[in-house]
Amino acid sequence: MKIFEHCRCALAQLAIALVLTATLPMGFAQAGLVPTDEVITETFGTSDERARVEAFLAREDVQEQFAALGVDPAEAAQRVAALSDDEVAEIAGQLDQLPAGEGFLVTAAIVAGVILLILVITDIAGITNVFTFIK
Amino acid sequence: MAGLPTTAAVEDVPFFAQDDYYCGPAALAMALAWSGLEVTQNDLVPVVYTPGRRGTLQSDVLAGARRYERLAVVVDNLPDLLAEVAAGHPVLVFQNLGLRALPQWHYAVVTGYDVDERTLRLHSGRTEDLETRLSTFARTWARGDNWALVVLPPGELPATAGERAVLEAAAALERGGAAEAAAASYTAILTRWPDSLPGWIGLGNAAYATGDTTRAIAAFRRATERHPSAVAAWRNLAFVLEETGDASAAAEARARAEALAAASS
Repeated sequence: MKIFEHCRCALAQLAIALVLTATLPMGFAQAGLVPTDEVITETFGTSDERARVEAFLAREDVQEQFAALGVDPAEAAQRVAALSDDEVAEIAGQLDQLPAGEGFLVTAAIVAGVILLILVITDIAGITNVFTFIK
Repeated sequence: MAGLPTTAAVEDVPFFAQDDYYCGPAALAMALAWSGLEVTQNDLVPVVYTPGRRGTLQSDVLAGARRYERLAVVVDNLPDLLAEVAAGHPVLVFQNLGLRALPQWHYAVVTGYDVDERTLRLHSGRTEDLETRLSTFARTWARGDNWALVVLPPGELPATAGERAVLEAAAALERGGAAEAAAASYTAILTRWPDSLPGWIGLGNAAYATGDTTRAIAAFRRATERHPSAVAAWRNLAFVLEETGDASAAAEARARAEALAAASS
């Protein structure tokens, strides 16, 4: 837990640094290439800087949520890394509520059907009385 | 839906019958296999399936496609969905086959449609080319919030998506380290939108990431020619020129970048 808190602190500092560099005029604070994402947002309209920093911090949370849901931690890290800041912000804190596609549950449907059939038969035979429409 | 052919089909979409709870891995495997990769449903289970949810989240399908270096772009309306099929692209769809209150979330892959017959064909669950009524599909798809995905090999673009959407999809590839695939996507974007500033910057950045500084410089130069007041274009050009040791050209580009930055602040 201690390590985790320490980690958080480092992340927070990095986030502050991000905010600072983002508010400085371009061409002054950064030495490397201007990333494509940044040019896209500049060209088509800016995204909220605070939201970007929050998303940056949310990455770790989402990764932990995946791990808690049984995803291998290394795998969870890769899943989160493939998402943009906005995409991470959209799912943060909601992994247990967002719709998850599971598809046709054939086995489940057959089991449910068989149970239903047994109950209908036992109802007719007068052993059970689950369905009011079966007298 | 003017201009759409009344009937269309993508014939060569491989079919993988889903195992229980694995419609996400199965649907993405079909889309990826169509795009030219050798993958199976089981390969994708660790990539997109979340055991604690017994299912696959939409964000994982998106991330999964990118991790296989495919351009993944969201489609959110029926005319666009049909137009993609007409363009020869299978469309991965997210449906709620149940009710709002009793949802049955499902992924499938649209492989064809017939407007006259009002039908749609899907690789769905354990059925290959399942024929369903267009109106029924529209309802189940709307209950899943009209979310679909085209998953394309690098260099191919969706028929319908706008400039920003494809740029963001390409930038996602670049961010994930798939620089070659990203460069191919930017090249295709620039063929369709030759003036795209993010397109030229993206191509330069992706080329630089692959180690091709000559190509990066050429792309950034084109960016400065088409957008002489774009600070990012001059800055990135200066950066790569400095790296390659072309000091005088670099200084010139750097001066332009700084003058523009000073003028705008």
